[in-house]
Amino acid sequence: MKKNVFLFVFFLCLLTSLGIYGFQGGKSATGTQKQEKPNIIVKSRQVIKPDNKNQNKLHAKCTLNCKTCHYCEYPTKKNPCLIYCPRDGMVTVFHTPEECPEVITLDEMSVRFGAVVFSHKIHAEMSQMSNGCQGCHHYNTTGPVLACRKCHEQTRIRKDLNKVDLKGAYHRQCMTCHRQWSHTTDCNFCHISKVPNHKQKIQEKIIQISGKEHPKTVEPNKLVFETSYKKGKFVTFYHEDHIKVFNVACNKCHWDENCITCHDPNNKLTHGAKGKNISIKTKKTFDEHHAPCNNCHKQDHCNVCHNDKELEAWDHFKVTKFELKPHHDKLACTKCHERTSKFQKLNSDCNSCHKNFKPGKFNHNVVALKLSDNHADLACESCHVKSRFKDKPVCKECHDDKEFPKSLPGEKIAKKKK
Amino acid sequence: METNSNSHSRRHFIKNVAALGAGVVATSANQAVAAPANILSEDRKGVLVDTTVCIGCRNCEWACKKSHDKESGNIEEYSDRSVFKQFRRPSAATYTVVNEFSNPKNPALPINVKVQCMHCDRPACVSACIVGALSKYEDGSTIWDPVKCIGCRYCMVACSFQIPTFDYNKAIEPNINKCDFCNERRKAGKLPACVDICPVEALVFGTRSEIIKIAREKIQRNPERYINHIYGENEVSGTSWVYLAGRNFYELGFPKLGFKHAPGVSEAIQHGIFAYFVPPVMFYSLLGTMMWIYKRREEFNKEAELAEELELQSEPESEVEEL
Ligand code: SF4
Ligand code: SF4
Ligand code: SF4
Repeated sequence: MKKNVFLFVFFLCLLTSLGIYGFQGGKSATGTQKQEKPNIIVKSRQVIKPDNKNQNKLHAKCTLNCKTCHYCEYPTKKNPCLIYCPRDGMVTVFHTPEECPEVITLDEMSVRFGAVVFSHKIHAEMSQMSNGCQGCHHYNTTGPVLACRKCHEQTRIRKDLNKVDLKGAYHRQCMTCHRQWSHTTDCNFCHISKVPNHKQKIQEKIIQISGKEHPKTVEPNKLVFETSYKKGKFVTFYHEDHIKVFNVACNKCHWDENCITCHDPNNKLTHGAKGKNISIKTKKTFDEHHAPCNNCHKQDHCNVCHNDKELEAWDHFKVTKFELKPHHDKLACTKCHERTSKFQKLNSDCNSCHKNFKPGKFNHNVVALKLSDNHADLACESCHVKSRFKDKPVCKECHDDKEFPKSLPGEKIAKKKK
Repeated sequence: METNSNSHSRRHFIKNVAALGAGVVATSANQAVAAPANILSEDRKGVLVDTTVCIGCRNCEWACKKSHDKESGNIEEYSDRSVFKQFRRPSAATYTVVNEFSNPKNPALPINVKVQCMHCDRPACVSACIVGALSKYEDGSTIWDPVKCIGCRYCMVACSFQIPTFDYNKAIEPNINKCDFCNERRKAGKLPACVDICPVEALVFGTRSEIIKIAREKIQRNPERYINHIYGENEVSGTSWVYLAGRNFYELGFPKLGFKHAPGVSEAIQHGIFAYFVPPVMFYSLLGTMMWIYKRREEFNKEAELAEELELQSEPESEVEEL
């Protein structure tokens, strides 16, 4: 009998050992089988107009793309195939960060961890460079911005598993950014630990956050990009000029900024960096790199931005000999230049644009010279011969002994500030 | 045949056992040998693991240990990400582990993958276990029974996901360790501990058909976020736990498997026997002797069970069928 037991155990060991070899062989054998059945995914971007006859009138008039709400080709009443998240473009009531709640205490589900005191206003301020309110308040029907708990259920055992529960919803919103810049999933980073004086700690935190604002974003003057483009390695980007000279709004380029653009401790582009020479390595695709510039420069040749050396700031006078100040510097470029493939050189004669310069119609004060009464009624051409306004005005037609600018047809006044 | 040790009869025995293992699964619907009749019940449960959502907080590891009375320590310690430097597998100390992989789409958001028993629809471990210590249940779970297990570790070899592990630190009555789908908790109407604690709900518990539907809709709605593959939907004939990812699964530590279930695996073992016969014989006969001596010492009073095993050896076919 002992022998039998021994034999049995022996066989099992044998099987195990051989099995290991066999298993390895088996794995590669199954690995070569190619029988993956791809699921069929419909990826159509086609816009389907709802059938007006059977639809509720309001619904049919809806200007949104059907795909904003429905994910299937033909939504029916029985199967509306509604998209859960995100429903962009549905928030219709917008708030500034100042109008939002300043601090929110999230403690409705705290079991293991204490409450989270959330600095809502500061986050709202930060969100202005990344999708605004909708970045977090994503699933919002038309109307005001809703709180997370309005849609997300508080229990994990529930019927509708498609929509994440409240605990999941909160953490997904927070952790997507937070773990990128803090590189931690430490719960106590946000949660106040459940110590006996927990309530007091919450109050302290609320007081600490209240009244705080996100520090003003530091804007760089210029950025020099070293690129891999052979025919023009350097791109000199005058950031300040784009804001002040070209009037480009911040979110025209910074519409999807990630928190870690500023808040990554590994990234040197942090507060107070103005004036310093900063070197940043970016990991972006070709399109991602060019997307902000392509807002305006889509039709420009590469060498408009790319050059083999760092470029000086663009100056209208240096390039065109036409001084924009003081009357034209606040105008959008396209006000004078028609936007075709390239900005065209314009005739710098005033009347090539200002066709309605007529006596009585033109306020001569704007050029800082108030005409005397007897000059005010004269035709423009009396002094500005042949309407060549950029040339020196001529007095000889009436006054043999006078010459501009020694004598003036009026009095100098302070330049009118625009 | 009892005392006969010539190679022919040994081969005959091995063949019988292995073929039976294969047979168990292939014909389980009719014979109901190692599994109950309706293991593919419509109501069977599963979990959808969305690796694009998981943040690698390892709270699930803590909760799993805690709920299975294992040394769990303080939950605060689990935010330590240095463990990700090494690729880990579930062990006797923990039924589930989370690993980390780089994310080519965004290096700041690494991909975390939770690993545990997949609770296969047609489990190789069940068909491999010759004493029926592992069983597949109608609720989708595959559960190990400590009473029946003889510690042969055959399941460890059979499992394509390398899930069952052996308690090497215990000399006496070592256990096979693997996720039990939180059997006790679910009986009490609770969610599996890991699903319950997950802060981002990267784990969704529901009927298998429902979570697959959810997974497919997610891919459909977010083709940029997900690759078009639900891991576990078809692999080894389907698993109760299924995964979504934004990167090829084979780069995330998942084995590349066919859609065929256990018999494929068992066959490979059977073939392997003849290919690599000689070297392990010496080693394992030595181990076998030692193991036999231990077993004799520990279980001297369990003569009845030994007798059963003896019968099994002499009449393998009928014995296994009854299990
Ligand atoms: S994953 Fe392995 S241990 Fe789990 S059921 Fe499948 S074969 Fe068995
Ligand atoms: S289901 Fe239960 S046993 Fe399995 S990994 Fe989750 S917590 Fe652990
Ligand atoms: S608890 Fe959830 S998020 Fe955390 S590691 Fe586990 S599966 Fe991932």
